[in-house]
Amino acid sequence: MALPATSDVWVVMGAYNEAKVIADVVADVKSTGHRVVVVDDGSRDDTAQRAQAADAIVIKHPINLGQGAALQTAIDFVLAQGADFIVTFDADGQHRAADIAALLAALKSRKADFALGSRFLGSTVNMPPQRRLLLTAAVWFTRLTTGLRISDSHNGLRAMTRRGASAIHLRQNRMAHASEILHQIAASDLAYVETPVTIHYSAYSMAKGQTLFDALLIILDLFARRLHR
Amino acid sequence: MIAQLLLTAMLFAILLYASMTYRQAPIIGFLTVASAFGGLVFVWFPSYATRLAMLVGIGRGVDLILYTWVIISLIMLLNLHLKLRAQMELITLLARKIAIADATRTLKAGNEL
Repeated sequence: MALPATSDVWVVMGAYNEAKVIADVVADVKSTGHRVVVVDDGSRDDTAQRAQAADAIVIKHPINLGQGAALQTAIDFVLAQGADFIVTFDADGQHRAADIAALLAALKSRKADFALGSRFLGSTVNMPPQRRLLLTAAVWFTRLTTGLRISDSHNGLRAMTRRGASAIHLRQNRMAHASEILHQIAASDLAYVETPVTIHYSAYSMAKGQTLFDALLIILDLFARRLHR
Repeated sequence: MIAQLLLTAMLFAILLYASMTYRQAPIIGFLTVASAFGGLVFVWFPSYATRLAMLVGIGRGVDLILYTWVIISLIMLLNLHLKLRAQMELITLLARKIAIADATRTLKAGNEL
């Protein structure tokens, strides 16, 4: 089955103080031929300039709002530009651009609206045991609260169709957005598939990763969101 | 009697506040109304407070009234937090509009060159 034309696919990423790695990440994704949108989330370094120099379309948040807010901004922007397929990609260099093709192929061949990357179906490089434990707990929590049968709940590498992206309206600005996306996928009743991907943990990405304390804050955020309209 | 009237006035003010909150945060509104009603009952019928306090192992009715006030304060604090979250959502929408408008303008200008 033919993959979507590269012009139909927009790869989006939220970036906050990623000047060290953003140019390489954008160049890696650009090598696949897709358009790249970077939302600079109020960075204090020159993330935006470096992403622009690497030929990404850059959207600048005037203030730091969080990764969830940045992704929603990117989704709104590319939908307005007529995107048919949207891929979310982390800006810290954890993902492989080569996995994008597998996600898009899964959308097409399985007639799904969401293809969710899974490191537990695929592979990881240098994943610390405590991170594996935290992610396993998050998967069980997500399965219980959403009913989705997934193996990886906090993977930023996902692809969605235009219809799928239109069903996503993130209101969790910060890290709880990953769980919120899954809740909205479950609520949308649209089809989803999981696709094996590889996550590469580096000292740089680990320093930006989530801790047990962050996980507790995510649960509180999800709970607080349910208390008001 | 003066203390009872003062407390009643304050609890009525809380009931008014809770009714305004109800549309944005029904759970918080309900909890506040329930606590304020409980407070009113305890203020005007202290014997109920003493009986209930004995039942739940607090000992004195006046302590139960104090605990009720603490609960009301915590609920109000939670409500304040939720209001700040709602404000943040509005700020996010505004920032997003500005960011997308700027990017769209830049993209159009680039295409026209």
